[in-house]
Amino acid sequence: MDLDTDVPMEDVSEEQQQSLNQSFDQGSSTAAGGANTSANGATGSGSHKTELNPSSISQLDGWLDKLSKCEPLSEEDVKKLCDMAIDVLQFEENVQPVQVPVTICGDVHGQFHDLMELFKIGGPCPDTNYLFMGDYVDRGYYSVETVSYLVCMKVRFPNRITILRGNHESRQITQVYGFYDECLRKYGSATVWKLFTDLFDYFPITALVDNKVFCLHGGLSPMIETIDQVRELNRIQEVPHEGPMCDLLWSDPDDRGGWGISPRGAGFTFGQDISEQFNHTNDLSLIARAHQLVMEGYSWSHQESVVTIFSAPNYCYRCGNQAAIMEVDEQHNRQFLQYDPSVRPGEPTVTRKTPDYFL
Amino acid sequence: MTLARRIVSPEDLTQWIESPAYNQIITFITKLQDSVQGKPNDSPVQVSENSQIVLNLLDNVVQRAIDNNPVVHEKEISRFGKIEFRDFYDELGELLPAEIKTLVVAKYGNEEEASEISEYFKNSFGNRTRIDYGSGHELNFIVFLLCLSKLKYFQDEDFPCIILQVFNKYMKIMRQLQKVYWLEPAGSHGVWGLDDYHFLPFLFGASQLATHPHMRPKSIHNEELVEQFYKQYMYLECIHFINSIKTTPQGENPEAGAGKLSLRWHSPMLDDISAAKSWAKIKEGMIKMYKAEVLSKLPIIQHLMFGSLIVCPEGVAEHSHDDADSDCGHIHEAVNTWGDCCGIKVPSAIAASEMNKLKKPIPFD
Repeated sequence: MDLDTDVPMEDVSEEQQQSLNQSFDQGSSTAAGGANTSANGATGSGSHKTELNPSSISQLDGWLDKLSKCEPLSEEDVKKLCDMAIDVLQFEENVQPVQVPVTICGDVHGQFHDLMELFKIGGPCPDTNYLFMGDYVDRGYYSVETVSYLVCMKVRFPNRITILRGNHESRQITQVYGFYDECLRKYGSATVWKLFTDLFDYFPITALVDNKVFCLHGGLSPMIETIDQVRELNRIQEVPHEGPMCDLLWSDPDDRGGWGISPRGAGFTFGQDISEQFNHTNDLSLIARAHQLVMEGYSWSHQESVVTIFSAPNYCYRCGNQAAIMEVDEQHNRQFLQYDPSVRPGEPTVTRKTPDYFL
Repeated sequence: MTLARRIVSPEDLTQWIESPAYNQIITFITKLQDSVQGKPNDSPVQVSENSQIVLNLLDNVVQRAIDNNPVVHEKEISRFGKIEFRDFYDELGELLPAEIKTLVVAKYGNEEEASEISEYFKNSFGNRTRIDYGSGHELNFIVFLLCLSKLKYFQDEDFPCIILQVFNKYMKIMRQLQKVYWLEPAGSHGVWGLDDYHFLPFLFGASQLATHPHMRPKSIHNEELVEQFYKQYMYLECIHFINSIKTTPQGENPEAGAGKLSLRWHSPMLDDISAAKSWAKIKEGMIKMYKAEVLSKLPIIQHLMFGSLIVCPEGVAEHSHDDADSDCGHIHEAVNTWGDCCGIKVPSAIAASEMNKLKKPIPFD
């Protein structure tokens, strides 16, 4: 039987009812056998996961329906969603295994409508498998809706979508770059900000696509030579200011060889020699990362040993850049899909509210 | 005394907020703001000889450095900004010390003070390594003016001219730099800030409008009014500028309003502020907001440099990386233990763990 655990929502819930007590991932009867599905083994430790019961499914579908209209969830629902998400994400690995085919995406930064455009261009989830490399929040108008949507998708289709942590998925950074302000503005308190930033600690920090493409938000670390060393990190914490976990989320490739001090003040810059050595040591074909604005939406460096993918078009409403996503098929062929900003439907409906400074 | 960054921890920040230097900056900014209350940009002001020299400095030295370093090659670099900005910056760095020395040393201060002032001035134009600009760089321009004012180079009666002429010229140059070299917004809050780059034109601009008989805070939504008066009022110039650059790419999305986006979309903060009762409230509020969002933010203040004119708050500990993130963006003490500066090979894990022992500033994005 070539049945997909995530795709056919109705079928799955029926199946669930029929095969009592059989969890999603354990369900061998529902495990994928087809070549172009990634249900089985896409997440390494599915057996730990809590079962999604039909009422959870309908609750999640309701939330997704609401969110897809760019309407934020209530504080109470965010709490429920984050609890469910912790149950899923805590069992994912530091190097989350992902199978091909998969579509790899970069920074989104609260540009909700552009995220919807991304799913139009790349194909709807869960029909298409997705891997997001972090930076869902900050700067854009709809960080709350964007991160709620992606987390909701993750809980609903855990084997179909992988969401990594970016350097902006952090308490400290979100207090500076907008997500905190946005939560206060939209919910009147910092509760939702707290719920999400607590959840961010559980996000996996890297992914490995079919053992060949190493995906992460920032880049390499001088303290990490092998992928196994990433597996040994304790990732369930705030992004530290330094050390390997920090570097993976903050580093950038550079034209200069070797390691350099990053002008960002965190992470390092790494040259072509470093990338090539890392790929050789770990038998990789490519490092896919995000973290930097690139005009075409993607950009090769280090003679195609590293690719940068950026998925927020016209960043901050001003940069005029295209966005891109990268499809990797069963044969590991790569294809880039570029897109421009989506149409904004009407105006935001939030009522004008004078900030306290000006009262 | 060489300028050094000193504020690195939340404890330092507390000391800073209670320090004389902090108060001097706030007092200076408040006085400058008051000095242009009700005065549009073209108000007749007394342009002293000294003000004229600074205007010429901006007009000649800075402008020439821009003109001498056009963006020529489309070289692929990993940064968004154009690398010719670094040539502009270096040229400025070569010319400035002599220029500032002439301006200061004869009558107003010593060489040491001149070199500090020169450093603040150079830092007003952005970060050479990151090719970016933000409110911290803007603060350096104010500190440059404050230092000159402390040395009695400027008198209180120069204040309207400092804002309407000098600061406006600085703004014009900054807009040009941002545009020519694609400066990245440093630490932008995205749509949740006033502007990607600037704070002070809003603060001074609100004062210009504070006594205006007809203009209301909501007037920023009136396109015709903005169009008619943006050359007269800094705040409206900012609105006009933001509206002009915050667009969807030309012709891409006619449904979204022919490439236009409303202020509500791209600048909800400005939209919210337009609900204030009066420009006088906005004028006051801008000072409060500047204190909270700029002068009290560690990611900004950790870059502020202290010396003999802007004195480091008492009780702030010496740190081992005083020179961290100087104009080349590298941590020199740390790098020196490995050899040279800029892009040298760090001997992997050892060096990294060495670096980890240093207290590092908050990362910038």
